Amino acid sequence: MASVLKAQKANASKVAKGKRKADEMDVDADEEQPQTGVTKKMKNKQRVLLLSSRGITHRMRHLMSDIESLLPHVKKDSKLDSKSQLHLLPELADLNNCNNTLYFEARRHEDLYLWAAKMPNGPSIKMHVQNVHTMDELKLTGNCLKGSRGLLSFDASFEETEWGKLTKEVFTHIFGVPPTARKAKPFIDHILTFSIVDNKIWFRNFQILEKDPSQPNGPPTTTLVEIGPRFVLTPIRIFEGAFGGATVYSNPGTCRTKPAPLSSLRSFTFAPCTFSPPPIHVIRLTCPPHLTYSTLPPFTHGTEFVSPAAVRSALRREKGAKYGVRKDAEDETARRRERQAKARGEDELAVSKVFA
Amino acid sequence: MPSTKSTKPPAKDTKKTKAKGESKKKLPESSPKVAVVPVVEEDENEWEDEENVEDDEQDSDSDSDNGGVDEEGMERLMKALGEDGLNEFDQAMLEDDDEDDSGDEEAEEDVEEDELDDEDVEKLSDESESEEDNEEDEEELVALDDEDVELEPDAVPQQKLEVDNEVALLRIRENIQLDPSIPWTETLVLSYPEKIDVDVNDDLNRELAFYKQALHSANQARQLAASHKFPFTRPSDYFAEMVKSDAHMERIRQRLLNESATIKKSEEKRREREGKKFGKQVQIEKLKEREKNKKDMEERLKGLKRKRKDLLETGGGQDGDDFDVAVEDAMADRPAKRSRPGAPGGKKITRQTRDKKFGFGGQGRRSKQNTKESTDNFDMGSSRKGGKGGKGGPGKGGKGGPKRPGKSRRMAARSK
Repeated sequence: MASVLKAQKANASKVAKGKRKADEMDVDADEEQPQTGVTKKMKNKQRVLLLSSRGITHRMRHLMSDIESLLPHVKKDSKLDSKSQLHLLPELADLNNCNNTLYFEARRHEDLYLWAAKMPNGPSIKMHVQNVHTMDELKLTGNCLKGSRGLLSFDASFEETEWGKLTKEVFTHIFGVPPTARKAKPFIDHILTFSIVDNKIWFRNFQILEKDPSQPNGPPTTTLVEIGPRFVLTPIRIFEGAFGGATVYSNPGTCRTKPAPLSSLRSFTFAPCTFSPPPIHVIRLTCPPHLTYSTLPPFTHGTEFVSPAAVRSALRREKGAKYGVRKDAEDETARRRERQAKARGEDELAVSKVFA
Repeated sequence: MPSTKSTKPPAKDTKKTKAKGESKKKLPESSPKVAVVPVVEEDENEWEDEENVEDDEQDSDSDSDNGGVDEEGMERLMKALGEDGLNEFDQAMLEDDDEDDSGDEEAEEDVEEDELDDEDVEKLSDESESEEDNEEDEEELVALDDEDVELEPDAVPQQKLEVDNEVALLRIRENIQLDPSIPWTETLVLSYPEKIDVDVNDDLNRELAFYKQALHSANQARQLAASHKFPFTRPSDYFAEMVKSDAHMERIRQRLLNESATIKKSEEKRREREGKKFGKQVQIEKLKEREKNKKDMEERLKGLKRKRKDLLETGGGQDGDDFDVAVEDAMADRPAKRSRPGAPGGKKITRQTRDKKFGFGGQGRRSKQNTKESTDNFDMGSSRKGGKGGKGGPGKGGKGGPKRPGKSRRMAARSK
């Protein structure tokens, strides 16, 4: 890319001065990723489009507004009407001059997914958001300047995997406030931490206090107070393009199977009531998957991503299994009764005979 | 000569066979059920090819879905048609089409796919997407899948394959990476050198680990800022809008206060409860002591009685007094101090001191009667001094007499 740019520059220098200016602007426009710009002073230019789908709950909305207040380079847009037309997002970002997008997608008013994408050419990371605590909670007592640039801290796990490195890069662009942001303040008083624990990305935001509040005249020691928000992200997939393209990473644990029809499920769920569910990886290797489906522990703390819909349906199935067990027992009793009646033979003194 | 539209699938297929051949040459086969780690060269062409392949595959999928012509059939058809089945223009058009499609369609498809995924509907293209590299397996799987859908619902369903295409991830990252030469102040990114390895369910330790990470990074940042001459600490006279409003902070403060108040209250209550418990103990002890005292007393009396019994029987008249004193002594529980009045140890106080202390005699019987002197004496002022019983004379309220002090003074004097 650099060689192309050089060539263009060389071309531009040949022609007249006025023309060159226009050409250079063109180069910039073609660039589309200002951070790799060839200007002498390397600048980190980022703008983030922040928007959500329809159907978000108040908590999700508050989370969004928290992020908006923390990141001064965010442009908030109105809700996206349709969930199936994500290809509109690059256009929207382009209209707003944004080169990043944070898109919150709410499903069934309970699940929240977060898309973090670089805009014109990708990649885009799709994550599942859990354990949301917003800044409104009174337990989080910290505070910071609105629009101050936060530090970004990534733990060592991000460097271990390729997808971690990519995620770190994308988050650096999105959550790192560029110094040129219009509303940015010149001091640093908070720090955003990203840590991978349990294959999930945990987000925390702390205020940096220079002095210990308990001893105001003591020596200056750094203490931290949490500001919020908090959330946990489970990466699901990374796509090559912006809201589309080939999958270059998918969470290994996405063990989803076709739900078996109810009839077959009922026949299965009678038996497995007795055995305790083995760990998932064992299941995956040994049992047929539709068996694992009903025996899937509802909340797995393993390394894997199980979609909340699958969890819910597993729960429902478990409930349904109870019903199945009861029904089966009822059937069984009826059959036994019948059998017994047959075995006894006809009663000589049956009411119907006596009073015939 | 068919129109472009109608020839689209066969044309694609020719392309596909070509692409397939290429990729077959380059790509090694891998088993279907393991994580796919494709061998991909860095150049873009390769990728485009692959995308096309993928695209075509999806097309072929849809073909087989439609129950129309299968792949081999198509191939045969194309052979029959021969190379001159399409003119160059058409082919160019088709290729264009292909190229255009590959981007948009994919995007759409992925979107759809996700939509469906979440609705728990398996879609065929899932497989095609995740297995862009090994087509043979792909076909098998598709076949399986078809069975799955139509024939037996109990058959082993497809499993998601994990994708971790590190080469592609690396390439993407290199594409979007910020210039490594930009100063730290542009990004403010810090890396914590340690891995966080805690039990996720242990909230306290987990949060502590996060806190440590943040603290370490903050200190590191302070040093970096100092070396970059970058303002870090907010001066105390710099005021600006905060993330949380004052009203909100006030609420937080109020809550903290309330919390501490409740803690204090509960502490006090606990102490009180403990005090109560303790008080009860004290009470019990007191009662016990009283009981004990009573017992002691009785015992002592009994002892005395036993001692005196023989004396009484022998009949000593003045012994009655002695007995009383002894009883008193026993009751007072300090027999050593008090002794008999006649005892040689007792100190005798003199008559005078005794009179002084207790008073002696009195006014006498006639002390209030008039005497000759008092009768003659009309001097009111000195009446009190001189004569006894001059009280009640006519000079009440006379000028010379000493006045009674006011009430307040009297009260004050009394209180003295």
